[in-house]
Amino acid sequence: MLVIVAIFVLFPVYYMITLSLRSQSSLWSKATLLPVDSNLENYRAAFANTDFKRALLNSVIVCGTATAIAVLFSVMAAYSLTILKFKGRDTLGRIIIIAFLTPGALLFIPLAVIMANIGLSNSLQGLILVYLSFMVPLGTYLLIGFFRSLPAELEEAARIDGASRMQALWMVLLPLVAPGLVSVAIITFTGAYNELLYSLVINISPEMRTVPVAILNLSVADEVPWGRTMAFSSIAALPVMALYFAGQRFVVEGLQTGSVKG
Amino acid sequence: MATKSLAPAKSKAAKKRDGIFAPTSLFGYFMMLPAMSVLFFFFAYPLSFEVWTSLTDKTLGNDAKFIGLDNYASLLTDPDFTTAARNSVVYVTFVQAGKFILGLGIAILLHQKLVARGFWRAVVLVPYAMPGFVAFMVWKLIYNPDVGALNIFLMQIGLIDSPIAFLGERTWAMPSVIFATIWRGFPFWAIMFLAALQAVPKELYEAAAVDGANAWHRFKNISLPGIRPVILIVFMLSTINTINSFEAIWLTTAGGPSDATVILPVFAYKGLAAFQIGESAAAALSLVPVAMIFTIFILNRLKKD
Repeated sequence: MLVIVAIFVLFPVYYMITLSLRSQSSLWSKATLLPVDSNLENYRAAFANTDFKRALLNSVIVCGTATAIAVLFSVMAAYSLTILKFKGRDTLGRIIIIAFLTPGALLFIPLAVIMANIGLSNSLQGLILVYLSFMVPLGTYLLIGFFRSLPAELEEAARIDGASRMQALWMVLLPLVAPGLVSVAIITFTGAYNELLYSLVINISPEMRTVPVAILNLSVADEVPWGRTMAFSSIAALPVMALYFAGQRFVVEGLQTGSVKG
Repeated sequence: MATKSLAPAKSKAAKKRDGIFAPTSLFGYFMMLPAMSVLFFFFAYPLSFEVWTSLTDKTLGNDAKFIGLDNYASLLTDPDFTTAARNSVVYVTFVQAGKFILGLGIAILLHQKLVARGFWRAVVLVPYAMPGFVAFMVWKLIYNPDVGALNIFLMQIGLIDSPIAFLGERTWAMPSVIFATIWRGFPFWAIMFLAALQAVPKELYEAAAVDGANAWHRFKNISLPGIRPVILIVFMLSTINTINSFEAIWLTTAGGPSDATVILPVFAYKGLAAFQIGESAAAALSLVPVAMIFTIFILNRLKKD
């Protein structure tokens, strides 16, 4: 039973990698699922492709910057919504959750028009700002779960010992929610890295493309250069998957905190 | 806070001091400010802008003229829109049913006494860890009639004589896309269900076993009620995501063949690409009622906890 599950789950990854090692002519002449004619030609082509390297760099800049900002803003908001007491707190919390639950397909049209109007289409800054619109609610929502799981007296105890609110947050609370920070960083980073729709409508010019759009653009009309596409895809996917599995413990904890503990 | 506990005896002035202007309040708002600014400029404002646009005849380059609900009226009579709406319902229903069955099945499998459960859990997570745009390109390849693994496999075992264009034929396109979407999305369900199953107290199973309940009864009367809250919330979160799955369609079939797999986000995107901005905005906003039902449900659920 488990073997069937493993084949079902892993076969596409296997096929991606074996095809990435084959030339187009080998694909057409030999219909086989086995790894034959393996060579690194497609990878060489990928690393010689300036558009693709540019797209990788763009993705890293956009997602890295947006993740750093999103984690900071989310920590501030989640801390405020769980530890501090103020008027309208529940309403603000609800607004965060509504934003978290709003499908991106709802917002891409006005965002594309607005970014064009303020001259931020076709720019990495523009894409970072747009990505924050889903990363901040997601990060805040996940971190609320982590902050809630801390004992309520902790902050008060630190304050009684003479710490200011900022000191209590920085020295007592943050180290305890550190797994949450890792989890939110990985989940928001991969979320942004995988994003296609916003990137497609906001960054149209080739030099501002992110990885998903660059890979989509390898195909000309309906002709897909499969070996090359799979090599580019492997390069795009494997580091992110490695990151995901390196932080798997945190990711799973984050997903569970967000959806199970509520 | 010390002042808080004295609440009943507080004077009006003291109340005011502890209201919005109390030090903790100011700090609270200060900490919320960055997140709320993001949401104002990139969520609330675009959303209201979209509502306004949907009431105009805006296309590229023209000044938007107010036309009331005309866009919505013309959508309802547009056969392409009704096709997209119907496809969305079919797509989401089957994808969610598939993820549920597969997710629950695999969670139960992993919940058995198992060597190296951590390893197997990691294996199950693979599709979820794979970037969506890569996953759907790979599925497009697997379905390809010339070099695709599925055709090669089916011909080798002799089930078919000539290759099938799984994404190019009306009968196959939707089921194929649904299957690929299930593959990519089921791990979230499996991992959540597994965690929930492991949280059900073992004593309940032992007691039931003593009472002579068989496996099916133990599952129906203990496991299922135990994980029901998780099923509900996972179902809600995942459904919102699935309604939104633009890339799953765009990267595999781009909505084809002849609109057989166009779902609402793809319809709206094509409208925008054709610069029918007002009308596409109306199409995108047609997702609001559905999104609202799910949102209200989740908000109520979270309030209960």
